[in-house]
Amino acid sequence: MEVELLVPQVRRASLEEVVALLSGQTESLPPFSDRSLDFCAGLSQAIFGDHEASRFPELLALAFWMRKAELITLRSQFQATAQTEAISVPCGLIFHIPPSNVDTIFVYSWLLAILTGNRNLIRMSARRAPQAEILLRLLRESLGRAEKVLQNSTIILSYGHDAEITRVLSMMCDVRVIWGGDHTVSLIRSVPLAVHAREVTFPDRSSLAVIRAEPYLTLNPKAREKLAEQFFNDAYWFDQMACSSPRLLVWCGTPADAQRAADIFWAALDNCINKKQFAAAPAIHMRKLVFSCESIVDLPVSNYRRSREVTVLTLDSLKSYPREHSGGGLFFSARVDHLSDLAPVLARKDQTLTYFGFDLNELREFALSLNGKAVDRMVPIGQALQFSRFWDGKDLLREFCRLVHIPSPSGNLEPGSYSPEA
Amino acid sequence: MTFDELLQAPQYSLPQREKEVLLAEELGALTEYHSRRCDGYARLLRVLHAGYNGVKSLSDVPYLPVGLFKSHMLQSVPESEVFKVLQSSGTTGQQPSRIPLDRETARRQTIALSRIMMHILGPRRLPMLLVESPSLIQDRRQFNARVAGLLGMMNFGRNHFYALDGNMQLDIAGVRSFVDRFGHEPFLIFGFTFVVWQNFLLRLAEQKLDLSNGILIHTGGWKKLQEQAVSAEEFRRRFQRETGISKIYNFYGMVEQVGSVYLEGEDGYLYPPNFADVIVRDPVTLEELPLGQVGILQVLSLLPLSYPGHSLLTEDLGIIHAIDSSSCGRYGKAFSVLGRLPQAEMRGCSDVIASMVA
Repeated sequence: MEVELLVPQVRRASLEEVVALLSGQTESLPPFSDRSLDFCAGLSQAIFGDHEASRFPELLALAFWMRKAELITLRSQFQATAQTEAISVPCGLIFHIPPSNVDTIFVYSWLLAILTGNRNLIRMSARRAPQAEILLRLLRESLGRAEKVLQNSTIILSYGHDAEITRVLSMMCDVRVIWGGDHTVSLIRSVPLAVHAREVTFPDRSSLAVIRAEPYLTLNPKAREKLAEQFFNDAYWFDQMACSSPRLLVWCGTPADAQRAADIFWAALDNCINKKQFAAAPAIHMRKLVFSCESIVDLPVSNYRRSREVTVLTLDSLKSYPREHSGGGLFFSARVDHLSDLAPVLARKDQTLTYFGFDLNELREFALSLNGKAVDRMVPIGQALQFSRFWDGKDLLREFCRLVHIPSPSGNLEPGSYSPEA
Repeated sequence: MTFDELLQAPQYSLPQREKEVLLAEELGALTEYHSRRCDGYARLLRVLHAGYNGVKSLSDVPYLPVGLFKSHMLQSVPESEVFKVLQSSGTTGQQPSRIPLDRETARRQTIALSRIMMHILGPRRLPMLLVESPSLIQDRRQFNARVAGLLGMMNFGRNHFYALDGNMQLDIAGVRSFVDRFGHEPFLIFGFTFVVWQNFLLRLAEQKLDLSNGILIHTGGWKKLQEQAVSAEEFRRRFQRETGISKIYNFYGMVEQVGSVYLEGEDGYLYPPNFADVIVRDPVTLEELPLGQVGILQVLSLLPLSYPGHSLLTEDLGIIHAIDSSSCGRYGKAFSVLGRLPQAEMRGCSDVIASMVA
């Protein structure tokens, strides 16, 4: 059985060879060592400095996210969670299975794992966008210059239809991380792990944006333009197919305010798209049209608004709001009086709520009232795609560490207690 | 002129302006008809085509995307009147379209097809060579568009002979005796474009068989031949050279509008029959495009009564070359189909790597 090795070098390798490589690497660094921090910061600079990489905004966003200052903040956050009775140590080997078509996720996943001192095995899809190829090249170069322990920390490979390879690699890892659709997650979940290993899954999710109409209406044109652009970034960067990209926009306010705000907002989004000269492929337009028709037949859609790149379906009720979606710039739109009116319609599948016009206390209260039923993130519009260690309700830094419990001594047995003289 | 008069009039005989006036009126009436009888269609008309205010010209007729019929079986007749549900053959992994037919719609389809075919075949049934395997129609469980197409075409022939065996191999001895018996007078050959090329012509190449009295009708699309870099011209040229056949007619049609067949003229362009028409639209703005520009095809037809399929936006690219100015005596729009709208690869978190364990 052969795999295509991508990091540390590009070459064909047998599965046995990969297994030998993985078993031979036992040395590792403690969580948040200066050495791993410097290495990651170096990679960030390499991305910033790379001529090819600078053409892709999502690569620059990634590099920004892993710049030195950010990593130091991450370290102090990690240290702040330290407990007196338990010490954090790396889990060991993390097997990452990133999605084939969000090209940067694997680096985020890898970064948090390597910072916490883990070794990494990443399975990439054979279908790779140029963005992924650039990252792989930069990783090879950076690792090539790094010290041995870091060099040995990361193996990236690709292989096709082979359950056996997945099985062998799964048995070796301590944590398996699956990013993908429900189908993929279920399928890979059926491949056993070592008895002690655990699994972190990121299945299909759905996301929404909420805007309070009243404060929106008080915005000046410049600010409206800005908000439209931020919304555009959230929705259109990955053809609206990223889990955290909004598919539903909910207006909070009176019917009149909501209507007025919506008219202004969608026009502003049209303008923003025209300015950017963004254009989706014709087939995406067709898919949106078909999906619109299906929705109109099946759901209480009261209005259909179609501009060149923005399709809006107004729902009279969110009761049967579907989580299936065409992507490509199609939005359901609905209105509620208060944020709390959303609670009954939100579901476990709902991940990110991007917002405008709410303060943190309201959002916290809303999260508490949901009590775990739905929603894993609430971030301002414009930050939907901003990755964080907190994702899908998990803290990845914690997921990638084990705790060694060393309670402070209590009770009577002090050294010397056994002394025969006593 | 009513639908029946349009059918009975010689096909391709109506100048475009005259035809559009007739069609617009009938299609407007059909739009009303379906919106009264099909709730889903009524919703679509009200929401998707909120600006609809009757049909003044052909481009006013509200359209539905053909892909909708894959997920939704819309019907304008009560369940009890549906006597057959047509299914598209569909490529693997794709959901087929499902089209409910009542007797009247099926009757219209049959008459319409025969009016079109009579235009090139004449009124008599001809001996018929089917470039197909007999097993296709023996297996009645799969009554799909391919079977329906074959059965529909069989009406125009007699002394049917299947040129392919159960394994899709050419029965050369059988074809030879068919030609010995019928080859001295006009006979009909029918098959699907790719099969006709791959399993018939290429196998026939060394046989020196004289098929020059044959009239070849084929359909099914050029996609597979385009992959082999075989153009429509090459197709004709090779057939002429290897078999002597010069009467070759391709047609364009779809399961969502069975009977509405766009048959090639002698000039190689496709022509809408009297009761149907095409419009080319910009795939992004959906605005009607002028002559000579490539866009997606909208197909209009007076045939569908049992389902709201009288105006459909296809996913096929096409171009209208000329109107009322053909060199083969046909009035109306002369157009070509240029293949499928290219599929877009979408990004996102969810499509992945099921293959890892599959």
